[in-house]
Amino acid sequence: MMSMSRRMLSKEEEETAADEIEVRREDQDKINKFSRLHQHELSIEEEVKAKHKEKEELDDITTELELADEDDVFPYKVGDAYFHVPLEQAQEMLATSSNKLEEEISELEDKLGSIREEMTQLKVDLYARFGKTINLET
Amino acid sequence: MSNLQARMQALSEEYTKLQNDLQDAVGSRQRLEAQQQENLGVQKEFQKLKDDETIYKLIGPVLLKQDRAEAESTVNGRLEFIGTEISRLETQIKETQAKIEKKKNEIIQLQTSAQAAAAGQQAVKA
Repeated sequence: MMSMSRRMLSKEEEETAADEIEVRREDQDKINKFSRLHQHELSIEEEVKAKHKEKEELDDITTELELADEDDVFPYKVGDAYFHVPLEQAQEMLATSSNKLEEEISELEDKLGSIREEMTQLKVDLYARFGKTINLET
Repeated sequence: MSNLQARMQALSEEYTKLQNDLQDAVGSRQRLEAQQQENLGVQKEFQKLKDDETIYKLIGPVLLKQDRAEAESTVNGRLEFIGTEISRLETQIKETQAKIEKKKNEIIQLQTSAQAAAAGQQAVKA
């Protein structure tokens, strides 16, 4: 990963650089694509964060239930309704939900990885062409 | 001339940062106020409860029975914490607002002295 300090251009740098490189159609497409990918990246990151939080809650209740009375019955929320289920069933349902969440999180993280790869490639292309006159740091 | 511009840029960036800090603090306080309202509501409900009524807490999808004393103490503790946090943020907000005013004046001063310098140079050329 290149590490450059991306700061705004000074007046002199701006004057010399401005009339150099032409922005071709393909360049603009790449810039737009980068922007779309970035928005997508942010949205998926939010989703992953939310799912992690959900999974944490499931882990919490799973731990609590380990200390619970075997004969107890628990109201378990399904959609907008609560169903009274015995301890074992509640634990099974929690495990199923937890596994499902793990899968979903894993899928999202894969998606995130490929989006970031694409963004890195676009950065390489655009910085190669435009150098200091473009800023792609997010 | 470039020295003045560099200073102006630095002041601008500091000003923007202060404004963002202010926004963050205000946002946090709003969230806390919402939490406060929610917890006050729960506290009120608790007061209406008869001795034989049960309290449940929603953890994930499961409603778990709660001990009444524990539940009340948790809510009271939360309200106390929220109260102190809100006070702290209010102080922070006032301080940041004062810093913003000061920074604004610094920028205006710099602008006026820059204009005076430019006018002075023009006069000399003429």
